[in-house]
Amino acid sequence: MLKYVLHRIALTVPTFIALMFVTFVAVRLVPGDPVEVRTGEHGISPERLAYFRHELGLDQSIGRQFLHYAWSLLHGDFGTSVVTSTKVTTEFFTLFPATLELSFFAMIFAIGLGIPAGAVAAVKRGSLYDQALMGISLVGYSMPIFWWGLLLIMFVAEGLHLTPVSGRIDLIRFYFEPVTGFMTLDALLSDQKGAFLDALHHLILPAIVLGTVPLAVIARMTRSSMLEVLSEDYVRTARAKGLSSFRVIGIHALRNALIPVVTVIGLQVGTLLAGAVLTETIFSWPGVGKWLIESLSRRDYPALQGGIMLISMVVIVVNLLIDLAYGIINPRIRHG
Amino acid sequence: MDNHHPPGPLQAFWMAFSENRGALSGLYLVLAIIATAILAGLIAPHSPYEQYRDAVLAPPFWAEGGSSRFLLGTDDLGRDMLSRLLYGARVSLFIGISVMGVSLVVGIVLGLISAIVGGLTDVIITRIMDLIMAVPSLVMAILIVAVLGPSLTNTIVAVTVVYLPRYVRLVRASALAELPKDYVTAARVIGVRPLRLMFVTILPNCLAPLMVQAALGISDAILEAAALGFLGLGAQPPTPEWGSMLADARNLIRSNPGIVTMPGLCILVTVIAINLTGDGLRDALDPKMRRS
Repeated sequence: MLKYVLHRIALTVPTFIALMFVTFVAVRLVPGDPVEVRTGEHGISPERLAYFRHELGLDQSIGRQFLHYAWSLLHGDFGTSVVTSTKVTTEFFTLFPATLELSFFAMIFAIGLGIPAGAVAAVKRGSLYDQALMGISLVGYSMPIFWWGLLLIMFVAEGLHLTPVSGRIDLIRFYFEPVTGFMTLDALLSDQKGAFLDALHHLILPAIVLGTVPLAVIARMTRSSMLEVLSEDYVRTARAKGLSSFRVIGIHALRNALIPVVTVIGLQVGTLLAGAVLTETIFSWPGVGKWLIESLSRRDYPALQGGIMLISMVVIVVNLLIDLAYGIINPRIRHG
Repeated sequence: MDNHHPPGPLQAFWMAFSENRGALSGLYLVLAIIATAILAGLIAPHSPYEQYRDAVLAPPFWAEGGSSRFLLGTDDLGRDMLSRLLYGARVSLFIGISVMGVSLVVGIVLGLISAIVGGLTDVIITRIMDLIMAVPSLVMAILIVAVLGPSLTNTIVAVTVVYLPRYVRLVRASALAELPKDYVTAARVIGVRPLRLMFVTILPNCLAPLMVQAALGISDAILEAAALGFLGLGAQPPTPEWGSMLADARNLIRSNPGIVTMPGLCILVTVIAINLTGDGLRDALDPKMRRS
């Protein structure tokens, strides 16, 4: 097992180095001069230009810049935003809880609805319910989520006034210092009446939008995996033993059917983070996705570079953990 | 039809495919959308770029104040919505099909090289693909567009790069599964050249899953490109691209819900139609998956 773990971890090292190289090169190629962006001056005097270029390390050779960049990364220094002069890691980890919280609730929505819906569809295979669910899930994974978000804002938030339009909490009614960065937890900790519910209220639409594609994928996967398991001998044996159909389906079949579903859920991490860029933009959700887009339009090289590095590292680490967990659940993989 | 012979492969495929009502209706819808895209110049009542200053934000014909002059109304610059939506089909299908075509060809070449040459080449190709997959698709596409500058062509480049690993990995895996088989060994023994071995001997046996991936890849590409368009990083105005039309309409959410609804609906319907067809293709090509 240790060998498997080490091997799997070693595999991420070249990916990490390549990622470092790609972000470095790509960000250097982005048009627009960071010095001009920072100073906001066009036709800046050559002395000042040289001064800023020196300060940003842009006067060194590309090779040295890369080595410097790699060295800093290994020391956990992902650079400093040229716009806000804040460390990229500070900005990222201030905003990341918002994205994490949103993704968490989106996943709760997707898993909580997707697994039971898919399992029931498999049991009632061919029924009207099954066909309807398959139809809905087709729509779900074909959905342009940015449009879905706008529709929900239009009809649910603006039309029916059921939910807020944007943001994480009503800032006029509630204010408290962030402790964990997770609005729902902070609201609970703040002892302000109604704050927690308000935070949840703000989460509903964004979580639905972000969770829609994973929901459709999970429902489909659960259904097909469940169908496969239901025809297995051990399920027939369980039935023949006279176990209640709830026990057969809910315990014997579903537990085994969930193994591929867990993999699919893991694969959704990338989808979630990509979706977060769109969802956060639509709902003015102050997370890393919206921040990345803003950094791009402000030509904030280091923020963009560090942000992409950090987001990708999150994906790499999560995928690594899922692989390891999978190796624990299924011994055939680690010996394969 | 001659019923005395077993059906040929194409015929068998069509029989399996056309049994599936969903797949069939998806296919008809796709054909209709393709026809719209090709004939946009003939069907569209107006130019998609012409700004009718006398009819800014005209409502659609069924709403109060609407007229048959602009069936679906006009946008905030007075451009005919219907015409822009029709031309939008052209843009989206062009993106989807180009991305699919390029990534299919490049994916086949890289995948086959990776599987057959092996060694360091294989490691390098696989690592690069892993790298692309490690970055969330939209983030990767944003990075590429940021470097190249936003335009229709660069959208295609970005989305192609993002989806390339799927094709490469698929071709590599199926080629690796074919390599140890006897017919490949036989071909090698009689001295078939590497290129012929790759494309004529092995490739045809890897095609079925690839066709399914290609079909579904079109819809993914359309969605991804529309997302880039929505973020202002895709096709630039005044190109009638559905994603960027949505972005333009965002601030009209309160006053003109129609302008926000229609482009998105076009994206959704197109993607559903392609996915239905792709799913049907998979079921028809892979008998194991059928009826499940």
